[in-house]
Amino acid sequence: MKKVHIAAIVLLVSIGIALCCFDAGTLRSLQSGLLAIISPISRSGHAVKSSLAGIGKDLMTLDQLESEYRRLLEENRQLRAENNGLRDLQEDNDHLRQVLGYRERSSFRLVPAAVLGHDSSAWWSSIKINRGTKDGVAVDMPVITDKGLVGKVTAASSNLAEVLLVTDENCKVAAKVEGTREQGISAGSRAPEGELRLAFLSKLADLQPGQKVYTAGVSGGVFPSGIALGTVKSFHARELDGEAILEPTADPGSLEEVFVITGAK
Amino acid sequence: MRPAILLPILLILIPVSMALQDLIPALPPAQEHIQLLPVLFCFGVLALPLVPALFFALATAVVGGLSVLQIQSGQAEFGLAWPIVFFLIWTIILQMASETTRGMRWELHALGSALVTVTLLAGEFLILCAKRGGFPVGLTVLLRIVIPSALSLLIAPMLYLMLRKLVPLSPEAVMESTTSPEI
Repeated sequence: MKKVHIAAIVLLVSIGIALCCFDAGTLRSLQSGLLAIISPISRSGHAVKSSLAGIGKDLMTLDQLESEYRRLLEENRQLRAENNGLRDLQEDNDHLRQVLGYRERSSFRLVPAAVLGHDSSAWWSSIKINRGTKDGVAVDMPVITDKGLVGKVTAASSNLAEVLLVTDENCKVAAKVEGTREQGISAGSRAPEGELRLAFLSKLADLQPGQKVYTAGVSGGVFPSGIALGTVKSFHARELDGEAILEPTADPGSLEEVFVITGAK
Repeated sequence: MRPAILLPILLILIPVSMALQDLIPALPPAQEHIQLLPVLFCFGVLALPLVPALFFALATAVVGGLSVLQIQSGQAEFGLAWPIVFFLIWTIILQMASETTRGMRWELHALGSALVTVTLLAGEFLILCAKRGGFPVGLTVLLRIVIPSALSLLIAPMLYLMLRKLVPLSPEAVMESTTSPEI
């Protein structure tokens, strides 16, 4: 082996050792750099994928279009009626919150984002969205849909961000069960299957399938309170605590549009 | 094709393959994803001479490691040490295998891709079990290791043919480039 080769191998090994010694902050900066590099590829790929999917959508027959129009008209009427009812409830809610002196936490500044792709790794559950630091998105910001909580931002470049989904084992959320005083910590599983596990509940908790679970909003935490997280599927008592299996309200497999909570209004 | 031209092309293909594998939807039954990075890695280390192959492996390891980086309480749960060691070991194994078969062969690339994928996924799982505790091996875990590896075996010949058209490289040229004193 030539001396040049030996020198090159020694140099590569040194670079390798130096890379292994990087701290979390440096690694996060490198990760943001990587996101910036793959951002144009992901965006172009997503645009191509969307236009290909659009071809199928455009090929609807007149009958299909008419029935779709009728369905949307009906849905519009229904939503208007619901909206009128909710307006009254909102006023009541605002009044009660003022009376109780609680901080108004239901209004957020939301940044809409499109999901560019799901992480292809086997043991982590995350998505990439087309918003980044340029749009005010930063690490640890919660991400939601109109249905409920999706996850939190874990890395952000100027125009791309990575969101760790609630179905990941590392995404722990303090949660409370509707209609009870039960609170616990929700997390996904190591090989995310689309279910959540709400642990540290009381062993004697009387939870029924279908009960709603919301974020508890602990002080200093990432997630504000009152965001829908899931519904109870089953409950079982363990040696020291109780654990409920939840169905997430926002299906991680079919996410297309999400909102990043950048702050309060 | 000389490594001086092949290496930059392969380095550009690393982020492209990362972005592509994220864009391809997960497959039923256990939401498995196609892994393109191990397939590209195998092609690169089989086609390049030792020193450029080691450099390519290092670049693959950094990109692969950063793509699964999770910072928990200010600590990187999964740093760059594991992917660097993993890809460098496989580079040496594949270079030795390439010498044994006297050049690059599609069968070797397909088999190597499947083995790299299976060891990568199983290794990641074992490290996570060691760090987070517990050893929850079930059908989902097995499917998430076996199916992407089988898919790597199947797509490797296609990627091999595609890359060989993109970067025409004869087995003789590989052997020459590994022994030629001018490179």
